[in-house]
Amino acid sequence: MANIRQLDKRRKSVRNIRKITRTMELIATARFKKAMDRAAAATDYTRLITKIVQDLAKSGTEVTHPLLQPHDSIKAIDMLVLTANRGLCGGYNGSIVRAALQRRAEIKEQADAGTTSVSGKRGISAFRFANVPIEKSYTEFEDQPSFEAVAKIADELILRYVSGQIDRVDVAYTKFVSISKQLPVVETLLPFGGIEISQTETANTSKLRDDYEFLPSAEGILEEVVPASFRARVFKCFLDAAVSEQIARMVAMKSATENAGDLIKSLSRTFNRARQSKITQEIMEIIGGVEALG
Amino acid sequence: MSSESGVHCVVVTPEKTELDSRCDSLILPMYDGELGVLPGRAPMVGRLGFGLLKLKTSGKEETWYVDGGFVQVTRESVYVLTDRLLRPNQIDRASAEADLQKALEVKPLSAEAYAARERSLAAARAKIRVAK
Repeated sequence: MANIRQLDKRRKSVRNIRKITRTMELIATARFKKAMDRAAAATDYTRLITKIVQDLAKSGTEVTHPLLQPHDSIKAIDMLVLTANRGLCGGYNGSIVRAALQRRAEIKEQADAGTTSVSGKRGISAFRFANVPIEKSYTEFEDQPSFEAVAKIADELILRYVSGQIDRVDVAYTKFVSISKQLPVVETLLPFGGIEISQTETANTSKLRDDYEFLPSAEGILEEVVPASFRARVFKCFLDAAVSEQIARMVAMKSATENAGDLIKSLSRTFNRARQSKITQEIMEIIGGVEALG
Repeated sequence: MSSESGVHCVVVTPEKTELDSRCDSLILPMYDGELGVLPGRAPMVGRLGFGLLKLKTSGKEETWYVDGGFVQVTRESVYVLTDRLLRPNQIDRASAEADLQKALEVKPLSAEAYAARERSLAAARAKIRVAK
């Protein structure tokens, strides 16, 4: 019977696919660990910079900066969308693109001007399909984004915001909440709200009051701290997106492997049944033939 | 500073903690020149320029190139926050000179562009100085 051979062929191909998905799962796991370590290492910088800002605020400096100031009228809104370069990671790219397109439609109602930049091949093709003009596209960000490249993007946004070309910047990325929870979110990057000043929390931690000496001056430092903090914030988005991508791929490939296992099981069962019925049929034929001869 | 001898110095970039060590004294490249830190220095927050960070440990000197940023001196430690930390021999003089040329050709049209140009000029010049 041709059916048996077909079943066997199918089972073999599913087995091969399972090998591939299992390997991809292992690779994603290894990459996830690396990306996670990087993300953890990057928190030190943010922590220290927050501390400097708090010390500045404690010394009586008013925390103001052009990046923190919302513009009076919002005419132009820039958007940055972070997706993956590769697929096979479940709904990761799809949900980001959906969230981004929805926000973009809302933006268009408020402000006409403003551009959209996309990182990741998947997002680029999805936006092209949706007929959205892409200002800049980046494909160089893989599982380990470099700060240097991210800082360039951030600097450009800072310049555009400070010079008044744009009034708001949104970013769509997958936020890493925990290993089992990642959310596609759209957040506002500029005006920058990333600097929280919690004076009550740290006011009485040590009896020794630190009277900081500021070089050149508190204002001069603040001028530099805010952009640096903003760059770190953008970098954090890229790191989060990278970690979430690997997790999404890991989960997708794990379920693909499991699914292939189930498929193999059911195919084997059908295959065995078909083989057995074939054998039975042949025996019946032989017995029938013998009886006819006798 | 802590009661232990020496200065505890931590260098952090946005990517990771690059350096966490103890030394006898250190010299920071501030925005307007060098600043030495000995154990027991008063708390300070300062802006860094582009230049060499020198760590002195029992007569030996270790140098690193620092790409701007900040420094915070607390009672316990010295925290250096910078975009990049490089060994002086990692700096390529030719590319630094190319950067300088490129920065010189830019015609700044606004105050922000002028500041950006000044920054890249300072960075390129510091790199050329270090690479020598």
